[in-house]
Amino acid sequence: MAKLADALEEELKAIFSGDTPWVTIVWDDPVNLQSYVTYVFMELFGYSKAKATELMLQVHNDGKAIVSTGSREEMEHDVARLHEYGLWATLQRGDQI
Amino acid sequence: MAATEGFKRHGAHSYVATFDETEKEVILNLVEQIIELLAERIDHGHEDPLAAMVGITSHDSPPEDEVLHRLLPNAYADDVDAAEFRRYTESTLRGKKQAHAMSIRMLLKSSPEGDVELDHQGANDWLGGLNDIRLALGVRLKIENNNYEHLELLAPDDPLRGVYAVYSWLGWLQETLLSALMDEVE
Repeated sequence: MAKLADALEEELKAIFSGDTPWVTIVWDDPVNLQSYVTYVFMELFGYSKAKATELMLQVHNDGKAIVSTGSREEMEHDVARLHEYGLWATLQRGDQI
Repeated sequence: MAATEGFKRHGAHSYVATFDETEKEVILNLVEQIIELLAERIDHGHEDPLAAMVGITSHDSPPEDEVLHRLLPNAYADDVDAAEFRRYTESTLRGKKQAHAMSIRMLLKSSPEGDVELDHQGANDWLGGLNDIRLALGVRLKIENNNYEHLELLAPDDPLRGVYAVYSWLGWLQETLLSALMDEVE
């Protein structure tokens, strides 16, 4: 019950503060190896090999994929880490995709 | 000395490779170029030493050089947001990329026999550093949309042919390190 109340409180806080979730997008790049992109997703986000591979294939086939969701600050942190490893990433508001 | 067989796992958390003299020279030459290229971007004569100290740079526009732009890309599609983000983060990103390159250089320089042994963090440094070299070469080779036809058809005396060979070799080397790492993860 406490958990539910926390979630509701979060939700209400988001509505009243105007906070919409932000997303980190990784774009397809012909230089980065598929295995490398998969590995970076596993390392940086702790994703399973299956989930990381699925996201990598989405980037490859659709040209982009949302790899993480959260506050603007969190997404800026994720983009900076992806840039450190040479992936082509940007962040934007989740409702503007 | 035989040409390298790439990286192999050695024990639980260690990855080893042996490079011959030529291979060492090629990698050293390229990481040094990356270090120099990133250094060119460092602010000269910063007006506000306090800002410089906390990592704020005077750069708010993306690098004009195409390679630098690929290494230090925009974080936002919107130019104003991208400029603001760059001002506060670019020097940190440059520092991290230089650290990856320097980690590769240090290991190769301190190994007269060409033996390299990496721990997990070292492996990540090498992957990131080798990737930056491939990104840089990829811009020069105009690798776009997985199209390699123009590179396969290069004349034997075209200098880009050698660049393409190095680019492909580094991709293979990265791949050997990745499969050694993935072995462990699984």
